Amino acid sequence: MTVKAVQFNVNGRDEAVMARPIETLLSVLRDGLGLTSVKSGCAQGGCGACSVLVDGELRLACITPAEDVAGSEILTLEGLNETNSMAAIQESFVANYAAQCGFCTPGMLVAVTALMESNPKPSRDEIMEALSGNICRCTSYLPIVDAVESAAGELSGQGDD
Amino acid sequence: MAEYLQPETIAEAAGMIAEHGGELAIMAGGTRAMQFLVPYMPYIMGLRRLGLERVEKSDGEWSLGAAATLTQIQKEVPIAALRDAARQIGAVAIQNVATIGGNLFSHAPYGDAATVLLALDARVSIADGGGERSLSLGDFYADGVDSGALVTGIQFAEPKGEAVYLKCGRKRFNATTVITVAVHVEMDGGNVRAARIALGGASPHPMRCTAAEQALGGGALDAAVIEKAAAAASAASAPASDATASEWYRRRMVGVYVQKALSQLA
Repeated sequence: MTVKAVQFNVNGRDEAVMARPIETLLSVLRDGLGLTSVKSGCAQGGCGACSVLVDGELRLACITPAEDVAGSEILTLEGLNETNSMAAIQESFVANYAAQCGFCTPGMLVAVTALMESNPKPSRDEIMEALSGNICRCTSYLPIVDAVESAAGELSGQGDD
Repeated sequence: MAEYLQPETIAEAAGMIAEHGGELAIMAGGTRAMQFLVPYMPYIMGLRRLGLERVEKSDGEWSLGAAATLTQIQKEVPIAALRDAARQIGAVAIQNVATIGGNLFSHAPYGDAATVLLALDARVSIADGGGERSLSLGDFYADGVDSGALVTGIQFAEPKGEAVYLKCGRKRFNATTVITVAVHVEMDGGNVRAARIALGGASPHPMRCTAAEQALGGGALDAAVIEKAAAAASAASAPASDATASEWYRRRMVGVYVQKALSQLA
């Protein structure tokens, strides 16, 4: 049983980390690289708190072996924070009271990013489907859907008001 | 912590299975294996380097690589019933990694792809010690396969008739399955020429429901005949009770959803 060096690009930086066999991407990102936006919620692929983008595709870091994504480009919320559109989405989350305890919020924001990449002006149904893998125990979800709808409206230049 | 083996050929994979036997678990997308097998098994064999992701159609025959993801199926297979099934298993992040081959081994309430594949009369390709062979998906479930067998792909003919897939869940998206129904009906003029009806969550594994198929007979697909088929499907079900739904409710929903599905084709 050997520890392996795994290389990938995280949030625009090339990184090399040591990973045990089948060590999860969650463990490597959070404990190894200190990217604490990637949360360990259920740790079994059921809650979405560890959502990240791997080569632009939404993945759950808790059920992804780190070595399976060697050579990939990984984006966590820390990396997405740099974009203007993320600022607009975050402001909309605040304005719509879409976060209470905030634990699920990073995963929600990553899933919203994946949605808007393929569908810049999603319907409420499409938002609910896209976020159906992200569990929130505080908000009853409706403020989150409102926030995404309003941010999408603003970002696509057609405000809802 | 398990050792992670990543074979690059089927022969190499078969060798690893033969060498490690019951100490080895096969992992495709990892959506189940990462939580249920990785913590307990000494050897995990990943399928990512085997090149089993291809989705192809030639001479009217679809061939899905066992490691094709549910997202890939939605994009690459323009058969609405199969797409609907793939789209309702877990949420996007799960569909991005969960595989069509792996889904065959996911028991209810996760293994819903098989319901449609049974209605499409699919076959399963398997590699084991004796080489590669193929068997019907019905036999795959009825007889089981050796734990040393590796599913390499799924094949079915382009549907001749129309197929409908419906899922009964307790919410609209990413729902735990109560039951699933898939029907494929080929009409000849106004008469039923051939029908396949499959149920998920109605028995320990997805099943074809020949009693309901026979109840359709060879005449018109009218309300009375649909009612008979729905009742036959309900009677043939032997579902489980769990936290999602009771046995009674599941059996009722089998009838309701068989009726809904067939009514869409009438």
